[in-house]
Amino acid sequence: MIRKTIKIVNKLGMHARPATMIVKAATKYRSEFKIVKSDMEINGKSIMGVMTLAAEFGSELELVADGVDEEFLIKEITEMFANKFGED
Amino acid sequence: MTGTGSLLKVGNMKKLSVKELYELKKKDLSLSLITHPNTMQGYITTSFLNRPGLALTGYFDRFEYSRIQIFGETEISYLQSLKEEVLYNNIKEALVYDIPAIIITKGLSVPKQIEFLANEMMIPIFSSRLSTDKLFNSLRIYLQSVFAESKTIHGTLIDVFGVGILLTGKSGIGKSECALELVERGQRLITDDVVKITSKDDILVGCATNNYGHFMEVRGIGLIDVAKMFGIQAVRMKKRIDVQIELMPWKDNMDYERIGLSNNSVDILGNKIPIIYLPISPGKNVAVIIEVVAMNHISKLFGYDAAKEYTNKLQEDLKRKAVVRENQIEKKE
Repeated sequence: MIRKTIKIVNKLGMHARPATMIVKAATKYRSEFKIVKSDMEINGKSIMGVMTLAAEFGSELELVADGVDEEFLIKEITEMFANKFGED
Repeated sequence: MTGTGSLLKVGNMKKLSVKELYELKKKDLSLSLITHPNTMQGYITTSFLNRPGLALTGYFDRFEYSRIQIFGETEISYLQSLKEEVLYNNIKEALVYDIPAIIITKGLSVPKQIEFLANEMMIPIFSSRLSTDKLFNSLRIYLQSVFAESKTIHGTLIDVFGVGILLTGKSGIGKSECALELVERGQRLITDDVVKITSKDDILVGCATNNYGHFMEVRGIGLIDVAKMFGIQAVRMKKRIDVQIELMPWKDNMDYERIGLSNNSVDILGNKIPIIYLPISPGKNVAVIIEVVAMNHISKLFGYDAAKEYTNKLQEDLKRKAVVRENQIEKKE
């Protein structure tokens, strides 16, 4: 199991488009994927789950992956956050 | 039902013979042939009609001679006002063009020279008892249906809550079975397996290719008659096509729509309609999902888009929270 804390660096926060990107990327992997925000823990492969987090600019999330390809999953998702989902 | 006649197709151009038009529509348009029957030799190649107007004065620039020419009261009274010689020359000049047919409205009488010249030049003249306006309308509507672009595609057309749903997908994926379940839930079948689609005035209309009735093949059973089995309320003859749903086997890595913000569309005969790629897997009730698609479509027509509604709320929430966070940081400093 890998746990990694990341910060939302894109101004708009995790709105519909980034949420879709994350879910689509995560579903490619076989590992289980959870995202934790304070007391909320959701399935990172569920679009409603990810949007329910309503993670705003500056907030912190914990990514939790568990499975055979957990490293790759975390790597891809982390990069997405760092690249601000292609936004400013 | 109005027959479309034996429509010849030359390349991409459709033609309707004048004879065919006369045979099929003489009653509806109350037509009678004034000239010799041999004059009916041409073909109509367009759904447009023309009032010759200025062409009768000798001005032939932009004269749309390939259309059916309609002579109303204006044309006839103008021609009657001309001196015989002028009339003869003007008409002769006009009839040199390859005009498929002339129709005189309101049962007006035709100057003798015109009839004579038309017989000479082999151009048929019909007289209609209808008013110009009425004839124009009826003839246009008929010709538009004749010349409308059409094609047949493999699929099933069902009316779901008034929304025309075109179900497509590979053979054996379960289009017919899905339609059957929808019919059982009170929806109406237009046609199964082969849909004839016609494009008319920017809308797509689908119907069956024959009038045998509403038969359907169900794998393992064979042919069934949906109207006989489920009653007349379970079927209809034709329906505007609003949405296409492509059924496809579930694939793990396929990029399925998750929120519904991106609107995929498909081009059928130059008309764009929304298309939904619907993955199916065992245990999924496809009929219910199709009803949901129909209801969602109606909902959007009424101006309510659930996907937009939700994501707008999310965006506002994110904005508000970002501001609160910033204020907290400033306070600490």
